[in-house]
Amino acid sequence: MRIETCYFCSSRIYPGHGIQFVRNDCKIFKFCRSKCHAAFKKKKNPRKVKWTKAYRKTVGKELAIDPAFEFEKRRHIPVKYDRETWTKAIQAMKTVEKIKQKRQGAYIMQRLRKGREIEQERDVKEVQRDLSLIRSPAAGLKQRKQEETIAEDMRSSDEDMEGIVEDGGEVTL
Amino acid sequence: MALRAQFENNNEIGVFAKLTNAYCLVGIGGSENFYSIFEGELGETVPVVHVSLAGLRIIGRMCVGNKHGLLVPNSTLDTELQHIRNALPDTVKVQRVEERLSALGNVIACNDYVALVHPDLDRETEEIIADTLKVEVFRQTIASNVLVGSYCVLSNQGGLVHPNTTIVDQDELSSLLQVPLVAGTVNRGSEVVGAGLVVNDWCAFAGMDTTSTEMTVIESVFRLNDAAPSNITSDMRASLIESMS
Repeated sequence: MRIETCYFCSSRIYPGHGIQFVRNDCKIFKFCRSKCHAAFKKKKNPRKVKWTKAYRKTVGKELAIDPAFEFEKRRHIPVKYDRETWTKAIQAMKTVEKIKQKRQGAYIMQRLRKGREIEQERDVKEVQRDLSLIRSPAAGLKQRKQEETIAEDMRSSDEDMEGIVEDGGEVTL
Repeated sequence: MALRAQFENNNEIGVFAKLTNAYCLVGIGGSENFYSIFEGELGETVPVVHVSLAGLRIIGRMCVGNKHGLLVPNSTLDTELQHIRNALPDTVKVQRVEERLSALGNVIACNDYVALVHPDLDRETEEIIADTLKVEVFRQTIASNVLVGSYCVLSNQGGLVHPNTTIVDQDELSSLLQVPLVAGTVNRGSEVVGAGLVVNDWCAFAGMDTTSTEMTVIESVFRLNDAAPSNITSDMRASLIESMS
């Protein structure tokens, strides 16, 4: 009993599911469901159909090249049964699966991080451009004007005082 | 020693059995009578293993092997491959080949040193044959028939080919193979000699219909009749000792 992978979407095919097609050059195509079989009959390329694993891998949405993928494959040279290697292999399968999951998750997070940076940059730009929506450039204009008038008043009174002092000076002279 | 055998009233025993100098494979689910003929003759020297390939018992036509290795077709299931590996001696390499022509027994004929193969066989398969079986590979036809495995039976002592093979072809083939060849039939005139006969260096099994004349031809070309004690010490010794060690 072997759990095969779908030719089109690369999902698993459990016993009793799907359909298989044998081309006249002996190549066997296995499909997990009629959706994949129909897509194949329409001569769709799995690399160009967005919902397939093949597409996601070719456009770099998912981890495609990794030594963790090298464990699970069809082997042509068998090894003699040995209980110890067997138990070790079962244990290794679990750890390999865990590592694979982690790497795939890390890859996706790495990929999403770039988007977040771009998002942040765009936000900063937007804030700078549209700052007027938050804070009017005219805000505080009134206050500033008031301050200015006060300052002017002060200056004029100072001038008067100076005149007096001058006068006084003249007086002393 | 040449013996007659029958698989469920079928004389094409080359279809249901594979015999080499290091092991013997027989199809599963046959009668005990068939197995006991093999086990009685070989049981002491080589393992007789009951196997199926891709759920089929026509293993003689599906696989090809010699004392160095065994090649099974791509359609072989994982469990069957594992069973073969566990049952055969460690010195025998077992490998599954990805080949379009899946009946390897029909398209390849080999002994321990040379192999004749179908002209359309993949180049990669040819390399695997050379590496695993440790043989020299020749692309050949027998009596202008591409199925060399069906129309020819080889051992290290000699070979039996399709009855229509011309003398010129026989000479060419025997110079390639470095063994004497004879054109002949089995099963009362059947020209599909690969299906009717299995041989190794010290014994042969033919279909029950094989006439005594055909038996004589088989015994003489594979040098089975003079398998006397003197011969055990010389010719048979090497292959017997290797199979026991």
